[in-house]
Amino acid sequence: MSNDSTHILGNFQKALDDLQADLSRMASLVEKNFDSALRGLVGRDNNACAEVIADDEEIDQLEKKIDQDGLRIIMLYQPVASDLRTVVSAMKVSSNLERVADQAVGIAKRARKMNKNPEIPEARLIEPLHETAAKLLRRAMDAFRKGDVDAAVDVKRADDELDKAYKELAKNLTRRMEGDPGRIKDYLDLQFIARFLERVGDHAKNICEDAVFAEAAVDIRHGGELPSDS
Amino acid sequence: MDSSTTSQANPAGASAPEGAGQMSIRTRDVDLFYGDFQALFGVSVDIKPNIITSLIGPSGCGKTTLLRSFNRINERYGNVTTRGTIEILGKNIYDADVSLPELRKSVGMVFQRPNPLPISIYENIIFGLRSHTPKPELGRRGDLDDIVESALREVQLWEVTKNRLKDRATTLTLEQQQKLCIARLLPLKPQVILMDEPCSALDADGIERVEELISELRERFTIVMVTHNMGQAKRASDECIYMYLGKIIEHAPTAELFLNPREEQTAMYIEGRYG
Repeated sequence: MSNDSTHILGNFQKALDDLQADLSRMASLVEKNFDSALRGLVGRDNNACAEVIADDEEIDQLEKKIDQDGLRIIMLYQPVASDLRTVVSAMKVSSNLERVADQAVGIAKRARKMNKNPEIPEARLIEPLHETAAKLLRRAMDAFRKGDVDAAVDVKRADDELDKAYKELAKNLTRRMEGDPGRIKDYLDLQFIARFLERVGDHAKNICEDAVFAEAAVDIRHGGELPSDS
Repeated sequence: MDSSTTSQANPAGASAPEGAGQMSIRTRDVDLFYGDFQALFGVSVDIKPNIITSLIGPSGCGKTTLLRSFNRINERYGNVTTRGTIEILGKNIYDADVSLPELRKSVGMVFQRPNPLPISIYENIIFGLRSHTPKPELGRRGDLDDIVESALREVQLWEVTKNRLKDRATTLTLEQQQKLCIARLLPLKPQVILMDEPCSALDADGIERVEELISELRERFTIVMVTHNMGQAKRASDECIYMYLGKIIEHAPTAELFLNPREEQTAMYIEGRYG
């Protein structure tokens, strides 16, 4: 993603630039939706929830467009080396972004349901988890855009913190649920929302793995490691 | 046909130096000059047996010069000076005791345009054998028939030519002519086959079939091929050598070179970049 030189074939360069621009646009929309989903929950803002659900369609279409454009680039220009890795990674990143947007929709739908009931103070417990997940996502996309392998590896490791925070929150919510069985449905919704946030961290991690592959051609998924001199 | 290139006698019949390793071709610090013009600079490369190695790079980078130095055919142009060593199966082909005819028997060559001789298909196949073998040792007509059939079968030409062996080779299609040019090397039992853009004169079908044939031949020969066609280098070769301005920039397994070139210059070339 960080190649500064230009292609001899102007159309190929433009196609690559367009693909990256679409991916950046998609990432912005997803980040915006992810933040709006929290506003819908913590701020009890049904308009924000509706916005997240409606805007998901545009994100879905962008995912399809990035796939189609990626395939078209492969078909027309037979990219190799960093170009090939960039195209394949962009297609995989867009799929992860789409899944993050789905998690945002999940949060918005649960929030809309919860907003019909009196406010539950524990909804605020979601905020730090959301903040961590949002930061991971932003840092992952940043690492991908800049081709920053070290940053990508750091973000991948940082996902463990999110997992830990999620487990603690899940335990906490279970305890509170037992203390207030009358609001069990709201607590269950919060449990689901916490789970969605934990999954966003997994997608950020996947994006980091794609960033490393795009930049360094090393597959660090499933226990794979960077060579020691990378 | 002996299927083990590494166990064959080396070209020119001389014995291999100790510890020459398992490489088919090994060059060290090769400089080559056409008059005052230096075309190769300190080329050191090891080419493995039984694989296809492609030489790639922009026009004028020295890939054909390097290819032609493996059987010293460059010297036909005159005014060529070569320094360094080029070993084929462990024997330096620039040693004084090397016989050029023997070398070229061991290291066959296929050119860009098919160049069959304007004689019959049959005579084309045994032409090399006739040139390199004293008449009493040439064998009887029946033996020669077997050699012709075997060579044509190896290049998948037997079925289409068996009833027209006396026809002129130039009446064949370009694809068939190129296959014939490969077939006529085989009776000489070469160890290495050099190919200088062997498909550049062929149409898409011809390219596909000749590539298939080359792929089958790799099991028994060391094949070194010059190609301008990146798609062909990717499809048809096991290893690639990228050359630029007479130097070897990178030598790697093909998939590795096209997925993750180590050298920036290689990446710029294969990706088609500048700046």
